[in-house]
Amino acid sequence: MTTESNLSDVQEPIISAAPEVRQIIERVCQLEKNRLDRKSQGHINDDIVKIIKEEVQ
Amino acid sequence: MKLTSIQLCNFRSFYGKTPEIILAIGSDRNTTIIHGNNGAGKTSLLNAFTWVLYEKFSAAFASVEQLINKRAIAEVQLGTAVECWVEVSWEHEGKRYRTKRSCRVYKNETDIDAGKSELFMYVAGDDGRWYIPPEHPEEIIHQILPSTLHQYFFFDGERIEQIVRSDKKAEIAEATKMLLGVEVLNRAIRHLGEAKKTLDNELKAIGDSETQKLLRQQSKVEKEIERIQRRQIEIEQDLACQDTLKKETSHYLRELSAAKELQERRQELEQLKKTNQDSLKQSREVLKKAISTKGYTVLLSEATAQFRAIITELKQRGELKAGISREFVSDLLNSQRCICGAELHEGNFACESVKGWLNRAGSSAVEETAIRMSAQVDEIDKQAPTFWEDVDREQARIQQLRLVISQIESELDNIQEQLRKDPSEEIRSLQKRIDEIEAKIREITLEQGANQQQIANFQAELENLAKQIVRQKYNEERQILAQRRITATQDAIERLTEVRSRQEQQFRLQLEKRVQEIFREISFTPYIPKISDRYELTLVENTIGIEMPVAASTGENQILSLSFIGSIIDKVREWSEKKMLMVPDTSTFPIVMDSPFGSLDEMYRRQIAKTIPKLANQLIVLVTKTQWRGEVEAEMSGRIGKQYVLTYYSSKPDCEEDSISIGSRRYPLVRQSPNEFEYTVAEEVKDNG
Repeated sequence: MTTESNLSDVQEPIISAAPEVRQIIERVCQLEKNRLDRKSQGHINDDIVKIIKEEVQ
Repeated sequence: MKLTSIQLCNFRSFYGKTPEIILAIGSDRNTTIIHGNNGAGKTSLLNAFTWVLYEKFSAAFASVEQLINKRAIAEVQLGTAVECWVEVSWEHEGKRYRTKRSCRVYKNETDIDAGKSELFMYVAGDDGRWYIPPEHPEEIIHQILPSTLHQYFFFDGERIEQIVRSDKKAEIAEATKMLLGVEVLNRAIRHLGEAKKTLDNELKAIGDSETQKLLRQQSKVEKEIERIQRRQIEIEQDLACQDTLKKETSHYLRELSAAKELQERRQELEQLKKTNQDSLKQSREVLKKAISTKGYTVLLSEATAQFRAIITELKQRGELKAGISREFVSDLLNSQRCICGAELHEGNFACESVKGWLNRAGSSAVEETAIRMSAQVDEIDKQAPTFWEDVDREQARIQQLRLVISQIESELDNIQEQLRKDPSEEIRSLQKRIDEIEAKIREITLEQGANQQQIANFQAELENLAKQIVRQKYNEERQILAQRRITATQDAIERLTEVRSRQEQQFRLQLEKRVQEIFREISFTPYIPKISDRYELTLVENTIGIEMPVAASTGENQILSLSFIGSIIDKVREWSEKKMLMVPDTSTFPIVMDSPFGSLDEMYRRQIAKTIPKLANQLIVLVTKTQWRGEVEAEMSGRIGKQYVLTYYSSKPDCEEDSISIGSRRYPLVRQSPNEFEYTVAEEVKDNG
């Protein structure tokens, strides 16, 4: 297998997800990335719950 | 992140403002070389970057509390402040950033008071307009290049091997996980799990169990009501039965000649008592009705007096006129004929005369209303005394009836007492029987009343429950939604877990492969770098067919460290360009290296000098003359975009001056200070050779 196909294979579970699930994953990962370096992780639960509620209506 | 410039003011050995040191950002000529002798301020310059961005310093940076240039402090007057600052500019994802950290100290007679440093940031987008970002500057920097990773991009080359030291294994593992996106995945999975728990709890709160509980309660109350109602029927039957029994017993008693008279009198009295009780009830009703229908009249005397005063005043002012009405005059004018028969045409005398009355006549509607209201008010006034009379009468009657009833009751008691003590055994026992029946009737009547009250209470509860159940039905939709959210979250967790397991394999292996490639390119040893499943970086050898850890030299570890940094930059850039979700958005990384290739020998120095500019997107190297000469200069010169010389002005009276030849010019490295202070000046090399 080439590197190229391996890489897309890595993300396959995200790509094949239902649109709302994919949105949740992408938004949560972005949020985590933004907060990666923060010492306090406070309120992240509220933000994630908000994302889920916004995406699944 | 591409660093574009750095400028210093009163920072360590740099006195006053340095010129803006512009950094090379070209794709080929991506390297900036800064020359300086030992002590000229190369380490200060490296730390100027990390101070601005992370407020951190490298291990070789001594006396971190003394940031401000000594000459600047000496020249300032007592009790005043002196400031030092560093401004670093960079480009990232199409935006330009200018960040300045400043620190002030106050000079006292005995001491120097250092304040806290402050960080400012300006950002410019595509339109070139500079603005202050709404986010905290630290957060913006950490998003672009996390502080935990800074030591892999801003480092002291002489100590770079320390990042792979065994006691730093955990640290480098964490950094690798972060760069490879594993940390993002770990946190996303963990936090999604927590969010799912929150959603589960929310579902419980609005959940089905609540409806079930309410329904159970409802049926319980309904059953209870049914039970009481059945009992009420029983009571009614029992009451009727007891009543008959009583009647029969009483009748039987009357049959007995000895008790006949008493019994007849008793029945007569009972009848009388009932009649009086009915009258009492009636009187109470009459009283209640009087209060509810006429009670208000006694409270209106002030208002009616006020009304009369208003009417009298209106009449006195002539605003309420009796007699001819304005409507009557209008009718005449409309019909164009007066009551006397004269024709009323617009303009003739008769018409004008009649019109004249229009203003003098009052409105019949107002007058009528006033008259009607006066009559009503009179009626109200009259009703008040009637009301009091009614009340007094009924109260007297009630009083009277109570008295009569009480008399009857005592007479009845008397008779009963007589019957109870009657010499005839039969009469006594019959009376006893009647007493028992009456006691029984009292008892079940009481129970009947209590039951009635209970039914009313239960019915109120039932109504309340019904309302709650309706509310719960609304919740059913919310339950379905909550369930869908939980399912989606669970799905997201599972997918991310799968991505993590695939990514761990893929990324770690790809990174390991790249580290091995770079290491092999530089090192002549047969050692192989390995990244364990715990992301620990080690060097192994495989000469006897078994992988054994290597007791690597400082030089080998330096090469391993540089290979690791190079491969990280290379792979993260590749994954980031492929829009891999988890890895940092940064596709370009700078390397700022102080005193590179410290203790390495010529061959390694050449290899690294050749490799590093290729790996990093941007390279800033701080070198001494000895570190630069020969193979390093030869390998790097084609890559140089910018070059600077740090000239150290020594306050030592007979210092030995030094210089460096670059291109066709000589640049001073050490000079005699014209005053008693030592300081450094940065100068750009115009001819990059």
